[in-house]
Amino acid sequence: MVNYLIVFFAVTLMYFSSADRLTTYIKLIGIQGLLLCGIAIFELNEVNTANLLFIVSETLIFKTIMLPYLLTRIIQRSGVTKVHRLAMPGFNLLLFSIFGLLISVILAKILINPFINTIYLAIALFTLFTGMLLIVTHKLIISHLIGFLIIENAVFMFSLAIGNEMPMMINIGILLDIFVGVLILGFFGLRLKPHTNELTMLKD
Amino acid sequence: MAGFILIVIAACIFPGVILRTKSLLSGRKGPGFFQPVKDISVLMKKGSVFSTTTGLIFQIAPVVTLASILCSLMVIPFGEHRALLSFEGDFIFFSYMLAFGKFFTIIAALDTGSSFEGMGASREAFFSMLVEPAFFILLATFAMFTGYTSFSDIFNNFFITGNDYVMIYSIIGVYLLVQITLVENSRVPVDDPKTHLELTMIHEVMILDYSGFDKALIHIGSYLKFALYGSLIYNLIVPAEWNIFLQTFLFFTVQAFFAVIVGLTESFRARNKMNKNPKFILTLSAIAWIAFVVILIMTDKLV
Repeated sequence: MVNYLIVFFAVTLMYFSSADRLTTYIKLIGIQGLLLCGIAIFELNEVNTANLLFIVSETLIFKTIMLPYLLTRIIQRSGVTKVHRLAMPGFNLLLFSIFGLLISVILAKILINPFINTIYLAIALFTLFTGMLLIVTHKLIISHLIGFLIIENAVFMFSLAIGNEMPMMINIGILLDIFVGVLILGFFGLRLKPHTNELTMLKD
Repeated sequence: MAGFILIVIAACIFPGVILRTKSLLSGRKGPGFFQPVKDISVLMKKGSVFSTTTGLIFQIAPVVTLASILCSLMVIPFGEHRALLSFEGDFIFFSYMLAFGKFFTIIAALDTGSSFEGMGASREAFFSMLVEPAFFILLATFAMFTGYTSFSDIFNNFFITGNDYVMIYSIIGVYLLVQITLVENSRVPVDDPKTHLELTMIHEVMILDYSGFDKALIHIGSYLKFALYGSLIYNLIVPAEWNIFLQTFLFFTVQAFFAVIVGLTESFRARNKMNKNPKFILTLSAIAWIAFVVILIMTDKLV
């Protein structure tokens, strides 16, 4: 079952590359949260119950519900619905993404050892690559935030690649989540001026 | 042989189910299931009119296209029954026979000398080029998964591998094949067969100059292609060793369900903007690529 979720997680990453509406990004972030929750339930069966409950509720409440809600509010307030017209076209981004998956698999194969699950590692590297690609090729700061959230999901996947022995890594990922939440609230939710794009544009 | 006959029968019903679904969803009574077949019989009785600009290529293209589709039908198995033609690497033959037919349609469109048809041919060639990797990667995944390179062997051994991944490849395979069918048959969201503006057409603009008997051949080819991809989908989701009567029933059920899905898509989904189509089609290749990578890791075949 967990393999199904990993493959669908990878499929959502491809859709990140091809999407150009911010609402699609938000939906995909929510879906990824749900998939990560499922992966955590099936994979982390050896951690103690309290820790597992914490991780599951974190992915379910924070990643699946709160983050998409906050991001939707930001979009509504700023009135920005699509990625910037100067962002790299989705077609090129998809080509890079396909290439990125190849590189990730080769890297995962090079880094293989008995303690790491290869599929997890490959998809985690691919997630990291997709997040970085989104940050580098897009112009709006909200796209950068989305990229940052994807990288955070990559950290979560990395921790799962190592297995049940590293719950601390997952907790660090959660701390990163909270940091992102503060960032969103601090910079956008409270200070963004409606109907202007002076804070939505990071660079020309 | 059973597969060949069943696909031909399914092709007679398929377009009718699409039409009926669309008409019911738009609140009309709509035509009967066999209306497209009746239309074809009317076209068959008519003669063909050729423009003086066109040459031999234009005249033989519909026959060549239909023949190529019929040839590709021969490699599709049905359940445990092997295909009429079955050999190692027959899925490459299948794909290139379809490409051969498309090539003739494209050069026939160029043969007319019309700038509209040239534009449509260019779009069709580009989209076909983009969808080809998705199909090949998908079939390469199945070939690697089962260890066979022939359709008959792939589908006969697909469900008996006993692997946990069978279901996931069925789901991905069905999703990709449905999308590939829509692209290959120039349907919504890539193209709209009902559009009346030449500038927005892809496939329809290429066959504008055909009439009568030749147009009937083109329509037959199109319906057969639908049933052909529907048959591939059927083979992916129904184990080959099941009872023959149950299989026959499921074959038509899958084909009808597939036609309903096409009808639903055309009723509820808007057509893509032309410049969004390449991205849409490339996404299919990307998803097929994910499936391929996972199977590479799983089978330890990554060097």
